[in-house]
Amino acid sequence: MLEIALRAFLILIYATFVGFMFMGIIRIVTARIHRRVGPPIYQPILDTIKLLSKKSNITHGLIYDFGIIYALGATILALMFIPLGNISILRAYGDLILITFLLEIPMLGIMFAAMSSGNPWAGLGAQRALLTLLAIQVPLGFAIIALAQFYGTFSTYEIVMAQQAGGWSIFHLPLFLAAIAYDIVLQAMFGKEPFDIMIAPGEISLGPMVEFGGKHMGMLQIQHAIALFAETLFFANIFLGGGSILVLLIKQVAVLMIAIFIGAIFPRFTIDQAAKFYWKWPTIIAALGAILASL
Amino acid sequence: MSINPIPIIILAPLIGGFLAWLINIKGIREIIGVISAAIPLGYLAYLYQQLSKETINFTLSLSGFEFNFLLYKLGWFFATIAALVGFAAILGMTSTSKDGYEWLFALMSLTGVLGVFLAFDMVSFFIFWEIMTFGSFMMVLKYNKKASLKYFLLSLFGAYSMLIAIGILYASVGDLSFAGMSVASMMLTKWKLALIYLLFLIAFGVKAGAFPLHVWAPDAYSETNQSYTAMFSGALSKAGVYGFILIYILIGSKLAYDFGAFRSTTKFGYIIAFIGGLTIVVGGLLAALQEDIRKLFAYSSISQLGYVLIGIGVGTALSIQAALFHTLSHALFKGLFFLIVATIVYRTGKTEFKDMGGLAEKMPITFAMAFVAILSLAGIPPLVGFASKWLLFEAVISQNLPILGGFIFFGSAIGFVYLIRFTYAVWFGQRPTDLDDTKDAPLPLAIAMGILALLNVVFGIAPGLVAKELNSILGKEVIKGDLFILDLGFGKYNALLLTIWLVIGIVIAGIVYFMGAKVRRVPVTDTYQSGNPVTMEYNLTIRRNFFLPLKETLAFWLRMSFDRLYQDVGKSVEDLAETLRYYVYNGNVQSYAWYLAIVLVVLALWGW
Repeated sequence: MLEIALRAFLILIYATFVGFMFMGIIRIVTARIHRRVGPPIYQPILDTIKLLSKKSNITHGLIYDFGIIYALGATILALMFIPLGNISILRAYGDLILITFLLEIPMLGIMFAAMSSGNPWAGLGAQRALLTLLAIQVPLGFAIIALAQFYGTFSTYEIVMAQQAGGWSIFHLPLFLAAIAYDIVLQAMFGKEPFDIMIAPGEISLGPMVEFGGKHMGMLQIQHAIALFAETLFFANIFLGGGSILVLLIKQVAVLMIAIFIGAIFPRFTIDQAAKFYWKWPTIIAALGAILASL
Repeated sequence: MSINPIPIIILAPLIGGFLAWLINIKGIREIIGVISAAIPLGYLAYLYQQLSKETINFTLSLSGFEFNFLLYKLGWFFATIAALVGFAAILGMTSTSKDGYEWLFALMSLTGVLGVFLAFDMVSFFIFWEIMTFGSFMMVLKYNKKASLKYFLLSLFGAYSMLIAIGILYASVGDLSFAGMSVASMMLTKWKLALIYLLFLIAFGVKAGAFPLHVWAPDAYSETNQSYTAMFSGALSKAGVYGFILIYILIGSKLAYDFGAFRSTTKFGYIIAFIGGLTIVVGGLLAALQEDIRKLFAYSSISQLGYVLIGIGVGTALSIQAALFHTLSHALFKGLFFLIVATIVYRTGKTEFKDMGGLAEKMPITFAMAFVAILSLAGIPPLVGFASKWLLFEAVISQNLPILGGFIFFGSAIGFVYLIRFTYAVWFGQRPTDLDDTKDAPLPLAIAMGILALLNVVFGIAPGLVAKELNSILGKEVIKGDLFILDLGFGKYNALLLTIWLVIGIVIAGIVYFMGAKVRRVPVTDTYQSGNPVTMEYNLTIRRNFFLPLKETLAFWLRMSFDRLYQDVGKSVEDLAETLRYYVYNGNVQSYAWYLAIVLVVLALWGW
């Protein structure tokens, strides 16, 4: 019992720290591509500490607080189910479908909190976030289907084991297609350009985030860090062969780098363009992968 | 000798409804109604123990006809769902119903649906099917004539299809009991079989609201007493689902044998599943674009039943179990949703999103119920909606059916989409000033909602309860595990563990939250608006056309509408009749004489 608690605590600390480092890396790399110097890598941590230690916080009611707490709690929950080398806790129940759902739930909490503020920008942001979710769900679904069909199991852990015996997923054609589609989906899950439609800085004032400040925003930063870690970890596990913590970290950074490079050079889509895009190419690629995997 | 429970279960609501209608004194009719709806539920629960050992049958001989009823595991499962949701809906009706008329027909349709689930031959099945349809039709008729006629026409279409199918079956089999038919169906020829299959598909598809026969549902579900809609959508639509399972029981093996397999499923099953997939997508997308709260949930009900059809269509033991599980979930969360809608409509008198907003503060209990229902329908663990959806995902994908898998993934996202639209427009944002003194749910509705919400949570955390029951219906252990764990071999879901870790996660997040400085409550007008002051004079909440971009993206597809197609067909038939009336049946005796002469000449030429 104590050992589990300790391991959970370590995973949480590690995920939060690495997540914040990822956020720092995003800022530095984007800055270098833009030929700026960029902030130090630990800048997001400083920002979060500042936000959490604000003396004055506002709230719009119970849901406004609970939504944020729920979002962070659900992100922690999702993290625990994803295999992390050999120290993860709930990997025996790390079902593909379950994790896919769990990675989407925190957004629901944020939406509830944002909408309860009554700010129309938040409403607009919620609308865009949901339509993005709807758009990515189809290719995402096909990618997951391809994986489950190829390996004949839904257990993430068993998929990792199978890859260590038979080579990474992306070296098999059906799963390579699925991985491409999933990676495009990941771009929207990170909220990076060209799919940062839901927050759209400078257009709808950060959308759902517009009303949050102080400790609410600080908690959302932590949530974002853990989610970034969990999403890259999930991808590294199911497509890139998993591995020990260190190996996983390298793979996660690689996944992140692709997202940053794409994000730094593309302008933003409008929401209907994004939906049409996702329902066309990534869906075709992923569906092809799923059909090939089912043969 | 004890009295046979089956007639009591089936007829109690009808008798109660009749009494309520006759007495029609406010207060007494409510009590009679609730009691008569509670009797089937109580009796079914009481019989649970006995059913694990034996089945109960009941035969009624009437003027040479034999009516057979059988209470067995599958029928019990459906009947209990119907009785449960029916009871909750009737409880809600004590607040929302206006007169004895509603009590009579609401309870009559409950009798109908219970009879459908317990009938064991085609004649009784058909009779109770029609009682159910008639009761619900009368409920709609009182509120909206046009909607009720549309419902009536499509139901009639379905009923005739079923009648013809029964006729063909009887003509070639000579037996109307389910037991006899399933054996004798082996003698049918291929084409007759295909025809019967098609006719059943229409008959049950109408009731289940399967695409493209769903067009009656949005109107009928919304244009009636909303408490009753909880039963309409939660229980009556299940008769359609049960019908699809009957296809398997009656002619399934013959169909599978004659028409062969499609990949890992049967061809006829794949058709059902594909219709289910289309139903999910069409229902979901249209739900997201509705401006009326009742219509949104009507379409969402259609969409969610698509999942069940997929499960039934895939046709493995696991997928049928998943479909049955989702039938239960659908009844629980959809029943809850319509009671919530009933409360909102009852308390505010408004039905459109544009007139609502900010009700979460005024109706905290109803909002809490809505929160449970939203999480359940959206498939958020650890609620019952997730358990059943998870089973469906695994059942379909493990059969290597990627296209169907794609449909369900899309369905889960579209669920989020329309639910958030509901949440935003009704509960949050600026409240119109005329809703300032809205009260929370009346007690009976609150109790009814509480029952369903509690079951959403209980079956969510302990899905093993349902899984055990499903295993015993199919007579083999398909879903392993215990009370909290669903174990399929290739996938595992532990609801209790997940709940515990969710609580731990929330506690950790709560600690972070409470370590920060205190919060100050600000009103809804105190938001960031680029420097513009926000006042209550202008309602800034986006309540109309919330998903405009989606509408624009789908503009091409939205131009096609089966509802409009049917209306156009109806209109052209009407035009044709009009033309005929003008030129042919013109009421002129002379022209009728001419027709007669022509006919006689033709007959003479023919050689008569």
